[in-house]
Amino acid sequence: MITLKGLTKQYNKDTLALDNISAHIGAGEFVSIVGQSGTGKTTLIKILIAEEKPTAGTVEIGGWDISGIRKSDIPFLRRQIGVIFQDFKLLPKKTVQENVSFALQVAGETQHRIHDVVPRVLDIVGLGYKADRYPGQLSGGEQQRVVIARSLVHRPKIVVADEPTGNLDAINTYEVIEILKKINEFGTTVVLVTHNREVVNSLKKRVITLHNGKIIADEQNGKYRL
Amino acid sequence: MNKTGNIAFKFSSMVSFLRVIKFAFQDLARNISLSAMTVLILILMLLSVNTLLVIRVLTREAITSIKSQIDVSVYFENAVSQQSIDEVISFVTSFPEVIGTEYQSKEQVLEAFKKTHENDKHISEALAELKENPLGAVLIIQTRDPAEYKNIIDALSVPEYEDIIEAKTFDDTEKAIERIDMITKQVERLSYALTIFFAVIAFLIIFNTIRVAIYTQRIEIAIKKLVGATDWFIRGPYIVEAFLFSVLSTFLTAVIVFFAFRVLDPYVAAVFEQPSILTQYFFSHILLLLGGQFMAVLFLTIMTSFLAMRRHLRV
Repeated sequence: MITLKGLTKQYNKDTLALDNISAHIGAGEFVSIVGQSGTGKTTLIKILIAEEKPTAGTVEIGGWDISGIRKSDIPFLRRQIGVIFQDFKLLPKKTVQENVSFALQVAGETQHRIHDVVPRVLDIVGLGYKADRYPGQLSGGEQQRVVIARSLVHRPKIVVADEPTGNLDAINTYEVIEILKKINEFGTTVVLVTHNREVVNSLKKRVITLHNGKIIADEQNGKYRL
Repeated sequence: MNKTGNIAFKFSSMVSFLRVIKFAFQDLARNISLSAMTVLILILMLLSVNTLLVIRVLTREAITSIKSQIDVSVYFENAVSQQSIDEVISFVTSFPEVIGTEYQSKEQVLEAFKKTHENDKHISEALAELKENPLGAVLIIQTRDPAEYKNIIDALSVPEYEDIIEAKTFDDTEKAIERIDMITKQVERLSYALTIFFAVIAFLIIFNTIRVAIYTQRIEIAIKKLVGATDWFIRGPYIVEAFLFSVLSTFLTAVIVFFAFRVLDPYVAAVFEQPSILTQYFFSHILLLLGGQFMAVLFLTIMTSFLAMRRHLRV
């Protein structure tokens, strides 16, 4: 599903974010990418959604080499990946329902399908009754659940979560991880970037550990080892 | 792309287009204070441009009015024959610069002279003592431009007409005409300079207003990009908003200008002795006022949105 070959990202002479990393993430896997701050985790996510371009190496998603992706193809790539951001990135002037619908609207989905799918996805994340609220009227945990709903609504094969629990308390963290596990059980590949030790250890899934831009460990049923 | 795919693509494009319009109205309503401020600034800018237009109209009107009051009179010798006078009149009217002539016969000149001096006992007595009309006929000439009088006077200052023409008033008014001509040219130059100055200010105001409006939404633009929106899907609502801002600001400015002209017209009429100069100008130039200003504002707002948004779309 995701294949990294010799992936390198150098921002300037002194900043090497990713240093020749290679890995393969298969369809339906749940992989945690862990590492201390500044080890290249977020850079990796940015490369996966074409927010950054690699300096060297290749990235393939579903057989599509996106390392030299054309600007006009970027929206199509992003519509195939569900992304969950630590800082939510919700549109403040749109309601919960409109935020989730937006992911379908950009892809030109019909209004009929949007009316059909969005309420169901909001029910899955337990926010159906707050569909008309604005993000500013929701708690951090609720906002993150809206983001999860937005990332799922177009049924992506891959969901990438960049520190999704970074701004949440223990209860909300638990809820978000449970939703991610459920998404994965339905066959979606989940890439979770985190430095939350408890979360990683409780998952008992594959763990890739990054340090100074290199992969220093890649274990099935792994643990947080830093 | 096969036929079904083609239809699906067209349908999807139409749906996206309608969504762009919907989002534009939604953004406008949900950012109502920013929208209102943008329209207000556009109106203020258009009002300042219209103020300049009014100044130009009034200046032109004043210059035309002054110019129309300038003429040159040719006084014929008392004893000159009607045939010679007709020859001079036909010579003068053959000039393309001449837009009008008024001939006053000896009798008419005498009547006018008597009427002017009817209260002057000495002049009335002197005229009564004279058995013959001492005055000659007069030809009043008007040209398109005061500067052209000199050509006519030069043409009449030839030996053939020395015994026919007694005097010409041009020598007295030549300096005044030159001065008016100079002032006219200076006012026109100043008016052009002010137009350029206002145009630059207007451009800067619009550029900055739209730039600020887009800057406040830079995070939303980035989020939309990250969710998979194309550049056009993001730009679309801003273009529609620019169109709506242009329509609103041009229409409201036209309404304000119309009522301002209605209020100012009586004062202007008192000066120029002509009713509804400004309102007449408004209706005779309505296409330029509404269409021209709308197109200019629309072009500037759309161009500025493009320039201002380019940076924020690099996500």
